Amino acid sequence: MSVTYIDAIREAQEKLLREDDRVFLYGQDIATFGGAFKATKGLAEQFPNRVFDAPISEDAMIGMAVGAAIEGMRPIVEMQFADFSSIAFNQIVNQAATHFYRTGVPIPLTVRLPSGGTPGSGPFHSQSMEGIYAQYPGLVVLTPATVSDAYHMLLDGVALDDPVIYCEHKFLYRWLKAKSINGDHLPIGQARITRPGKHATVVAYSAMVHEAVRAADRLAQDGWEIEVVDLRSVKPLDLDTILASVARTGRLLAVGEAFPWGGVTAEVIARVTEEGFHLLDAPPQRLNARDTPVPYHPKLWAAHRPTPESICEALRKLLSF
Amino acid sequence: MPTVPILMPQLGESIAEATVIRLGIAVGDSVRTDQEIIEVETNKAVMGVTTLCDGVVSELRAVEGVSYSVGTLLGLLEVTDAEVLRTGVESLESIEAKRSATNQTNSPAQAEANLHFALDDDAYEEAPAVVPSIKGLPVPTGTMGAHYISPRMRARMNDLGIREADISAIAGTGAGGRVTVEDLERFLDYLGTWPSSNASPMRLAVADAMRRSWTRPLATVGLPLLLDRALDHRRAQSPKPGLTLYLLRAFALALTENPTTAGYLIGDKVVHPRSFDIGVAVQVEDGVVVPVVRKVDQKTLSDLVAEYDDLVDRARRRRLTEQDCSGGIATVTNFGTFGLTTGTPIPLPNETLILGIGAGVKKPVWSAQVEAFLPAIEADLLLTFDHRVVDGGGAGVLLNRVSELLQKPEAL
Amino acid sequence: MQPYADGVVTNRDFLRSVFHSMLRARILENKLSSLYKAGKIVGGVYLGRGQEAVSASLGTALIQGSDFFAPLIRDQAGRTAFGEPLIDCTRTYLGSVEGPMRGRDGNIHRGRPKMGMPAMISHLGAQVPVIAGMLFAKRLQGTLHGRVGATCIGDGATSTGAFHEGLNLAAVERLPMVVVVANNQFAYSTPNHRQFACADLVEKARGYGIGGFSVDGTDLMACASVIGEAVRIAREGGGPQLVVARLLRLSGHGEHDDGSYVPAEIRSGFYGRDCIEVAMRQLVENQFATVDEILAWQEEVAEEVQRAVAQAQQEAVPDPYHEDWTALATRFPLTLSQAQ
Repeated sequence: MSVTYIDAIREAQEKLLREDDRVFLYGQDIATFGGAFKATKGLAEQFPNRVFDAPISEDAMIGMAVGAAIEGMRPIVEMQFADFSSIAFNQIVNQAATHFYRTGVPIPLTVRLPSGGTPGSGPFHSQSMEGIYAQYPGLVVLTPATVSDAYHMLLDGVALDDPVIYCEHKFLYRWLKAKSINGDHLPIGQARITRPGKHATVVAYSAMVHEAVRAADRLAQDGWEIEVVDLRSVKPLDLDTILASVARTGRLLAVGEAFPWGGVTAEVIARVTEEGFHLLDAPPQRLNARDTPVPYHPKLWAAHRPTPESICEALRKLLSF
Repeated sequence: MPTVPILMPQLGESIAEATVIRLGIAVGDSVRTDQEIIEVETNKAVMGVTTLCDGVVSELRAVEGVSYSVGTLLGLLEVTDAEVLRTGVESLESIEAKRSATNQTNSPAQAEANLHFALDDDAYEEAPAVVPSIKGLPVPTGTMGAHYISPRMRARMNDLGIREADISAIAGTGAGGRVTVEDLERFLDYLGTWPSSNASPMRLAVADAMRRSWTRPLATVGLPLLLDRALDHRRAQSPKPGLTLYLLRAFALALTENPTTAGYLIGDKVVHPRSFDIGVAVQVEDGVVVPVVRKVDQKTLSDLVAEYDDLVDRARRRRLTEQDCSGGIATVTNFGTFGLTTGTPIPLPNETLILGIGAGVKKPVWSAQVEAFLPAIEADLLLTFDHRVVDGGGAGVLLNRVSELLQKPEAL
Repeated sequence: MQPYADGVVTNRDFLRSVFHSMLRARILENKLSSLYKAGKIVGGVYLGRGQEAVSASLGTALIQGSDFFAPLIRDQAGRTAFGEPLIDCTRTYLGSVEGPMRGRDGNIHRGRPKMGMPAMISHLGAQVPVIAGMLFAKRLQGTLHGRVGATCIGDGATSTGAFHEGLNLAAVERLPMVVVVANNQFAYSTPNHRQFACADLVEKARGYGIGGFSVDGTDLMACASVIGEAVRIAREGGGPQLVVARLLRLSGHGEHDDGSYVPAEIRSGFYGRDCIEVAMRQLVENQFATVDEILAWQEEVAEEVQRAVAQAQQEAVPDPYHEDWTALATRFPLTLSQAQ
């Protein structure tokens, strides 16, 4: 018996609906149909009048959820794809994110973003938006990489009083399986050392954690011990854990699936350089997707994002410095 | 006849596998292009697997009720060559031919998926090892790899109180030959097997001054100095001024004629001497101190004797104040007292010049007057200077002038 | 308060109440304009001059403490009618830390979300779905019955995607919602014919499958009657209602703008008339109020405004050294027990 990443997301939502009557789900095709990825399969039958199909109005979906949150609800809005949240961008960053600061009234709203690429998904069904949302004050941005985190972080995210951008990776949905969802449970805002090492630190999040671990496995054959840090939440960023790791290794590679300009990897490197310059024995490196839209063809797609090969290559360069 | 595979298709984003619900065909059946032949169910929907071309089912591997991962071979069609040409499908034979040509496995999507996330390690072949195509990260230009010190290395050196000069013994293994923290630690471990003692504060102070001075382009020039007249003059005096004092006085007078020679370069400015105060290097236990004699240009030799003797005496007894050692514009060192005939003295870090003199040696010196070699006492007179401020020409003028002045000791 | 008896506005108290809010808004806003021109207010000052009859009619028809009202830029009269104290306005404009926005936001970007009045953001149309969400929450909590949510927007906002998405969503969810469009003929400087191509904005209601009303926004009795009717229908389960009020903005977009792009013939035309003057005439002619009464109200309100300005001016402004500079309600780092 195994649990997939998407099972965990569904389980978490089921538990939330069962235990907290402030929670309701709003999103396109999520009721009877169970969602484009079946993250809400069966929930509409199980919880009548708690799971609603939304019109194709991402802006209004978030605006509506903000209003409901003001009135004491804890809405979870499913964007069918992270890419489509661009339509709701205004409501997310201007309405939800500024609300507590401006009025003192918190907005406990969770936006689920099916993120990242899968083969053949192309430019508009593959994006990673975490860096964009993390740029805005007033949002918590989560990027679970494991089945257990997918479960616990959704529960913990909904429990926060702030708007939470929950980036779930589509590639992990069914490829990633675990024996159970009872992995270690860290609080939001704390990173995890997925794999200890002493020669270099790879900071990654979401699906890239698995790529980094695979790259580390390969380099281990040559005697290199690579430490992999899973950010878990990109905002807040657990700089303490990152700095502690860089203090051990002296070398840093930040890996992200998002586009290369700015973003999470740039932030990680900027912060480490700022606060841990004396820890660095080599120029910190970053590896991101290429600076083009996400290509459709699987061959292009596979070369667009960081892979174990490209992570290995970047690490070898870093280790030879 | 070519064989065309029936594969489990990717029926939606993130779908990893699908279950066969119903087989609509049997071995031997003829199928048409776009015919739905196998009904499968994914987590999301029930769908039909279709054929890419006309053909006859030659093999059926799929079993009803069983789940297959995306890309699994479900069956085979026997297809005519004409049909392959018409529809552009890939036959097993052509796939096989390509695979042996490029040594590839599976479809790109499947290979990629398996490579990263498949839980069963037997399901894929490891991609060939990556050979880095780029030589490495560029070491910052202008510093040369060997001299590049990373922030971490710098921090570690600060922890240990280690200076750049101290690590010159380490052959770096980093990019461009730079010394890494690991190199440093290895070297320190190695040194740990040697006997050692703590350096005295005096030793460390001299080391620090010399290290700082050595960051500049220093050059040394010299000429032979005839000492007889000065020595003769000295013998006639009471109390006798030291030879170093003659040098001090001649040096000061020569500098008054061209003070910028002793200037100190900072940024785009040369700072000129404010007063012709000149230091004297005095060897003490485990180090050197440099007391400064004030206004040497304005005092005669006999005026200077008492002041000079007092300073040297206090220097040897380590009784100098900070005041006694500050504000000099140049230094004189007489290493001839140690029997040394030549050397390349190093100026103090805050000074541009140092004048040195070696031990006097009796030599035959050609006399144009009597056209014969005559015995004379000669010593090397050396000037080390910061080449940013002074050139060989300027240094030569200065040295020659000092030599000239020393030939008329009565005027000093 | 019900404005109605037999389809005609005859409720004396309702009309007097609407008018009183109009008057308070007008006198307050005149004062704000003066403070701006004296350099006391930084940022901008945005007036609802000319829109008071529409705004106050809506605010008066709503029930404080039960209904929701998302005012927009020109709704001082509606805010006042819905119960916002004048001091909230002067404190926000003058940056007092005692105000609802504590200097973190200014001027018309203020509200008290927990009292049913969300704080607008500058992006037009964005409050439409927020009101829908507040109502939706009440439906889920089982306490929607008898409630109405309303928002005002301008003619310009009807061109936004947010307006369309929000109104359509409210219609799909069949929420008791009233959207009042104050068509003041200019979105900043852009005239109607560059903003929309339909003959009358109220035609849009039909496309959304909701109720639609047109009204002369300069006519107090018409506004009270039509907006009151729309609120009643929504309250009784008739789904969203769209009211389009025709009027003219009697000021610039803000006080930095003289509105010189408004042609003279429009200014002097029918909708150029001042709704306050129209309202005074209506009250006096129908014997709902006397001239003396109105003059007394004016005096009272002027004093009240002066007090609100004086008090806000004496209060502390925010201190950057004591600001906590966090936009999150959660204080990280969390321990696991806090997280759970």
